[in-house]
Amino acid sequence: MLWLCLRLPRLPLEVRSRAMRRGGPPLAVADPERRRVVAADGRARARGVRPGMGLAAARTLCAGLRVLPRDPGAEAEALARLAAWAGRFSDRVGLAPPCSVLVEVGGSLRLFGGAERLRLKVAAGLESLGYTFRLAAAPTPLAARWLAQARPGSWVPDTAALETALDALPLDLPLETVPAQALERLRAWGLRRLGEVMRLPRAGLARRAGPELPAALDRARGLAPDPVAPFAPPAAYRGRLELPAPCADAGALAFALRRLLAELEGWLAGRDGAVTRLTLTLGHAGGAATPLALPLAAPCADAARLLELLRLRLERTRLPAPVLSLTLESGPAEPAAPRTGELLGAGAEGPREAPAALLDRLAARLGRGALAGIAPADDHRPERAWRRVAPAPTGDRRRDGRGRAPPSGEPPPPGQRPLWLLPRPRPLPARRGMACLPEGLRLVAGPERIDTGWWDGRPVARDYYVAETPEGARWWVFRERRGARGWYLHGLFA
Amino acid sequence: MSASRQGALPLGVPASDPPFSGTPAGTAAARAAAAPALSTGHSALDACLPGGGWPLGALVELMPARAGIGELSLLLPALARLARGRRWLVWVAPPWIPYAPALATAGVDPARVLLVHPRTPGERLWAAVQAARSPAAAAVLAWLPAALPPVALRRLQLAAAGGDRLAVLFRPPAAADRPSPAAVRIRLAPEGAERLRLEVLKRRGGWPTRLTLPRPAPCA
Repeated sequence: MLWLCLRLPRLPLEVRSRAMRRGGPPLAVADPERRRVVAADGRARARGVRPGMGLAAARTLCAGLRVLPRDPGAEAEALARLAAWAGRFSDRVGLAPPCSVLVEVGGSLRLFGGAERLRLKVAAGLESLGYTFRLAAAPTPLAARWLAQARPGSWVPDTAALETALDALPLDLPLETVPAQALERLRAWGLRRLGEVMRLPRAGLARRAGPELPAALDRARGLAPDPVAPFAPPAAYRGRLELPAPCADAGALAFALRRLLAELEGWLAGRDGAVTRLTLTLGHAGGAATPLALPLAAPCADAARLLELLRLRLERTRLPAPVLSLTLESGPAEPAAPRTGELLGAGAEGPREAPAALLDRLAARLGRGALAGIAPADDHRPERAWRRVAPAPTGDRRRDGRGRAPPSGEPPPPGQRPLWLLPRPRPLPARRGMACLPEGLRLVAGPERIDTGWWDGRPVARDYYVAETPEGARWWVFRERRGARGWYLHGLFA
Repeated sequence: MSASRQGALPLGVPASDPPFSGTPAGTAAARAAAAPALSTGHSALDACLPGGGWPLGALVELMPARAGIGELSLLLPALARLARGRRWLVWVAPPWIPYAPALATAGVDPARVLLVHPRTPGERLWAAVQAARSPAAAAVLAWLPAALPPVALRRLQLAAAGGDRLAVLFRPPAAADRPSPAAVRIRLAPEGAERLRLEVLKRRGGWPTRLTLPRPAPCA
């Protein structure tokens, strides 16, 4: 068992600031009731603002400081999303509020290629999410939490090294689950290191510093059980990011989206799934919201591709007002199709792109209505012998909206059919009355009589001919036999 | 004249090759022969084109004098071959409806056809570039106007370069007077009622030429 603690020391600040790139005024987050600074960003800290300072002092030290109220609800939600993201490294994840997540990685070391590689991957992932982090690993969860706070970066692989690591922990930093007064009392006695505390007689320690301290020590050393409540990742992803300032720039929105998509990717990796539907809701001032739906032709789990599609979708949208918050919701995770390679070579380019990816990209920018597929239909009337269908990326059978496959093996039409069909037959100018062929056209094939369709109210009674124009084009014309007789152009033999 | 360029004429033409004597020698022809090509289905046209067919990974420009003279039928054999795979045949901004029964009779599976109807010229160019660049497309047919900024054609050429797609641009005959980076440019005109005249205005590794192909006779 090896527990990795991911500690986010600046979580109250970063839930507000990670949506923004560098730049802008110095930022601090304050506790609204007690009017004290809880966390401050790098620029504010450089001017001397520290957590615990009063707001007035902070504003004096750092002119132009922007203070945002602390949002514990958003912090808890962000921590839960981080735990869901951490599911990509292990199936045993637990929350350790207020700002840590515990991941059991002992079983995953081999999969990720060793402790060093795993640590680098976790670090890279947390950076892409936009968090400042402290990592530590130890055989017990509580020891991992203590080390993440006091000695970040330690990696204690087994219990033998654990004792040494715990011995060296200083007592002037707060230790989680140990009350602050107990630590104060220990410091008042002149103790400086946890090792010295561990060598004191246990009964006396419990009587004079409280029973929590020896119990915590037992849990940290692995002598007492310390179960971590398992975190169950949600069935669908829902992440919300508030932007520190109203924003209408697509690039900045894409930057914030990247954070959310990194979390989505981690959640999907933990569940070994892919999404087929994403909804991005842009929140504006006053509660207005603009929802953008992004259906996908095939399940997708790749954050880079989803970002590209969302960017194309955003470019197509007109924002009614600057954006204050982004909410990304996904459909439930569906089992992802495993990526199979080609046996006989992948061709001149590198990895092939799935046909669905091209559809998604075109649809994201142009809209689903701009794409169409065609299919032959079983009807003698030429304008109904074809149908507009939704383009289907995979499979050889085309399905229409109701899930029926079209009949295969239809007999070919008796006469020749043109490659171009006009959407509506165009009347040809007549001369000397309607029944004569227009000037210059020479009929070379036909007539093909089509007289059908009386049963659904769209009867067709026409004689079709292939005609040649004096300029050399070949047309598909017909002469209408009902009502106003005249000649019409219906197609071109291209 | 610098002494370092020994054996070269002032214009940089290698001295061993007589000028104007057939196909230009040098690297252009060798490069053209090495590029992949898809047989057009008409042996007379295959003999004219570098590589023995439509070049893949480069632009082909067809400029028919008007519609209905056989400009699409020219591509049908190649499209039928490409439609047998699992990739798309993308038609960007077709002027009319590609008639599914006619395509099916000609051997092109209508299930592989993807029609894209952009609303603005910018979207049309973007869609053509995306399709020309995507490995998921086997062929791209785009209908573009005569007046195109040269950077647009350059973007299309870059998008198609290095791929194994057939990229065909249909443009009005007025486009023949404008320069274009396409690898093959053919102007189409009817010759009588039975034949189609092709003027190959540009081809890699060869001078302009012309040929005529018969049109399929309309069955009675």
